[in-house]
Amino acid sequence: MKVPGYYEFISPGKILSGKYALENIASEFTLLGSSRVLVLSDKVLEQLGQVKTLTDALVSGGVQVVRVFTDIPSDSSIEVVNLIANIYRQVNADSIVALGGGSVIDTAKGVRMLISQGGSDIMQFVGAEVLPYARHIPFAAVPTTSGTGSEATAVAVIKDNERKLKMEFISQFLLPDLAVLDERFTLSMPAKITAMTGLDALTHAIESYSCLQKNPVSQSLGRSAMLLISQNLEKCIKTPHDKQARLAMANGSLLAGSAFSNSMVGIVHAIGHSLGGVCSVPHGLAMAILLPHCMRFNLEKCEDDYAEILSFLVEPEEYVAIRKEDRASRCIDIISDFENRIASLSGLSLRLRDNKVDSSAFDEIADRAINDGAMIVNPKAVSREDVVSILNEAF
Amino acid sequence: MSQLSLFKKLSNSLKGVVARVVLFVLYRGIKVLAHEDSRIMAEFRSWPEGLTVALETAVNGPGIVLAKQGEKLVRLKEKRNCDITITFRSIDAAFLVLTGQIGVARAYAEHRFMLSGDICQTMSIVRCIDIAESYLFPRLMTKRILRKVETKEFSTLRVYRKIFVGV
Repeated sequence: MKVPGYYEFISPGKILSGKYALENIASEFTLLGSSRVLVLSDKVLEQLGQVKTLTDALVSGGVQVVRVFTDIPSDSSIEVVNLIANIYRQVNADSIVALGGGSVIDTAKGVRMLISQGGSDIMQFVGAEVLPYARHIPFAAVPTTSGTGSEATAVAVIKDNERKLKMEFISQFLLPDLAVLDERFTLSMPAKITAMTGLDALTHAIESYSCLQKNPVSQSLGRSAMLLISQNLEKCIKTPHDKQARLAMANGSLLAGSAFSNSMVGIVHAIGHSLGGVCSVPHGLAMAILLPHCMRFNLEKCEDDYAEILSFLVEPEEYVAIRKEDRASRCIDIISDFENRIASLSGLSLRLRDNKVDSSAFDEIADRAINDGAMIVNPKAVSREDVVSILNEAF
Repeated sequence: MSQLSLFKKLSNSLKGVVARVVLFVLYRGIKVLAHEDSRIMAEFRSWPEGLTVALETAVNGPGIVLAKQGEKLVRLKEKRNCDITITFRSIDAAFLVLTGQIGVARAYAEHRFMLSGDICQTMSIVRCIDIAESYLFPRLMTKRILRKVETKEFSTLRVYRKIFVGV
């Protein structure tokens, strides 16, 4: 592990993790001076009764839920953000709780940004680190999957439907005040979703550990995330109601989120975003498919990092038995084996061809991928041809 | 008593002068290469007509505003509401990049600048700067700061001749 010549690190907000974490949001909000909460979630969680579990916890804690909005699509969009911001103002809310996956939490980040900065169109804040500190809006994020880590990231991705583009917003003022990990919400996650989101979190941890922006703090978080994920993901699929394993995965996801929010992610995400955009491959699945291939592509630049990662994944005796020059490539093999095991347990295929991807789309995916913001921090320069070659390997 | 020491004042002034010169060479370099180098040409053609880009070496520091007008990259006199604005957080950070001590990717990784505007569109500009640096900076420097040193399609001398003499 090396200390870079210069680095910055933004810590996540306060973490509430474990039994009755949800019930403590109200008292935290009271301390933050808020009492009128706007709850954001989606239709599925509402039907499952999870939104009710949240509002019960908030109301019994003494805060008022002034509105519940659940009409958030799977890809958060600028129109939805602008609409919710108007509702926030109409109902005179003073804080936000987001319950859901990455889309719901990113939508909430966008709403909070718009309310905090003023104005009516979120597009004026597009960019990296340009957002000034403004009015503070208390904000709690409650993830219902263990993958995106959005509850601990300073990034929001929101779709511009008009231009068919996903716009990135990066600012320390996007970080939620509270990241609430309550295992009640992940216990019912189906095996496939558990696998895809878990492998997404693993990808965050690995990419953040080896990208240009890596630093000792983000690498420490990445290491802990890799340990928690490698030790618990399989358990969550085999015994879905294992509360301890579910909470460990939620923590692994949060730590990986905080790590990549600071170190950023690289080629896996750049190609994965495009694969999702062009062929609608679910994000976590795209990450799982691409990870080993992209690691092989980056191998020459990431040898030391991958060798270190190997030491987190195998027993010390096994690690020392592997020749030093073989450790990095062995690390990729072990990650690939781990992914295959998870895929087979959950009924996923890690080949593009089995996931409705046609090779005729590769050119378009490559064109989009090289313009993805994640490419700039990938340790190795990536050309359009490199992307096509990786896609062919993963086909 | 001045709040700024004489050393810092001189250092800022000197860095400001160097920044102005390098920004001029970089602008002229990309303008020349947009007609000569096939890769920059392709990138430049992909930019939307009228795209405006501001590169500022610090808040209120020396900067440059560029625009795509037809087949040409032109320099605008006044800064207006640009599509993309890259603002270095200090003249010292800009100096590191403009004198080839660190590359654009490293500068981004180290949070040396703020970016206002579409990040995807900015990626094309970053690629153009990387290719231009492969021509404008000595290989010893580019090998250290670029993730990949692009092959030159013609000599550096020819680029510099076109930058300063125009032919």
